[in-house]
Amino acid sequence: MAEPFTYGRKGISGRFEDAERELLRGLFRDVVALLEPDEQPEEDPLAALVGITPNAAEPEDPALKRLLPNVSKDDGEASLEFRRLTERSLRESKAGALRAAAMGLESKDVLLDATAAAHWATALTDVRLVLAERLGIRSEEDAERVHEITDWSDVGDDDVDAYLALVYNFVTWLQTTLIDAMMAAYRAEGGHGQADRA
Amino acid sequence: MSLSVATEPTHGLREQTTAATDSASMVPWNLVVWNDPVNLMSYVSYVFQTYFGYSEEKADALMMQVHTEGRSIVSHGSKETVERQAVAMHNFGLWATVERAGEDG
Repeated sequence: MAEPFTYGRKGISGRFEDAERELLRGLFRDVVALLEPDEQPEEDPLAALVGITPNAAEPEDPALKRLLPNVSKDDGEASLEFRRLTERSLRESKAGALRAAAMGLESKDVLLDATAAAHWATALTDVRLVLAERLGIRSEEDAERVHEITDWSDVGDDDVDAYLALVYNFVTWLQTTLIDAMMAAYRAEGGHGQADRA
Repeated sequence: MSLSVATEPTHGLREQTTAATDSASMVPWNLVVWNDPVNLMSYVSYVFQTYFGYSEEKADALMMQVHTEGRSIVSHGSKETVERQAVAMHNFGLWATVERAGEDG
């Protein structure tokens, strides 16, 4: 069983079993694949260069839509325009964090500096958002129902939902310990928001 | 976080004010963060503290408002400012939208 992330003198550290590293790498890889834009063989190279997506559309997959949500609640055209201008860099940023987290799993012992911890936090969040969508978590009651599935021995060989629920609960636990550790690090360093520095 | 209770913005109000404010570039905009049953309460508070530089007390209060009321206005400013913040929230995995100030009914 993995050890929780903890904050100490050297930074934020964690430790994983081989099977857990494989599992996490697979999850990070799956979400990267989900985020990769559809092939655009006749894409305008200038559009690619400046990072816009002229033909951007609201994702049909609800999990992808949760990762790349509309920026306006009720103005579809404004959301689409915003998507054209920002979606590409958002996809790339998320995929970059997921890849960085996957790279960090080269060894059992994981030591995270502030940047790596931030990558892990968003990577685990995006994995949880996608798993939650696949598990049909739409309400707190749904979340609690999934949370109650904790025993691997209860899961039958072909019970995909129960397996996904256990994976979701593992990732949730991992992220809980990571956020606690990041919060401890933030407090120890005196806490200055990113917006202040921008 | 918990039960996803999305309160619909007041459409009527928006329609009335759009025409009058279109030309005014200084009109304030709000950044709204919505509740979802997935993101951890500690994570949402962490994002509010580390990204906006809010105190733990203020971040927790905003997080609780998202949790209990379904949404919270967490920042306001020019359209450009709140749009930049919305992208940051999306990058963190939070569900955020922008709206003209006064649309929240």
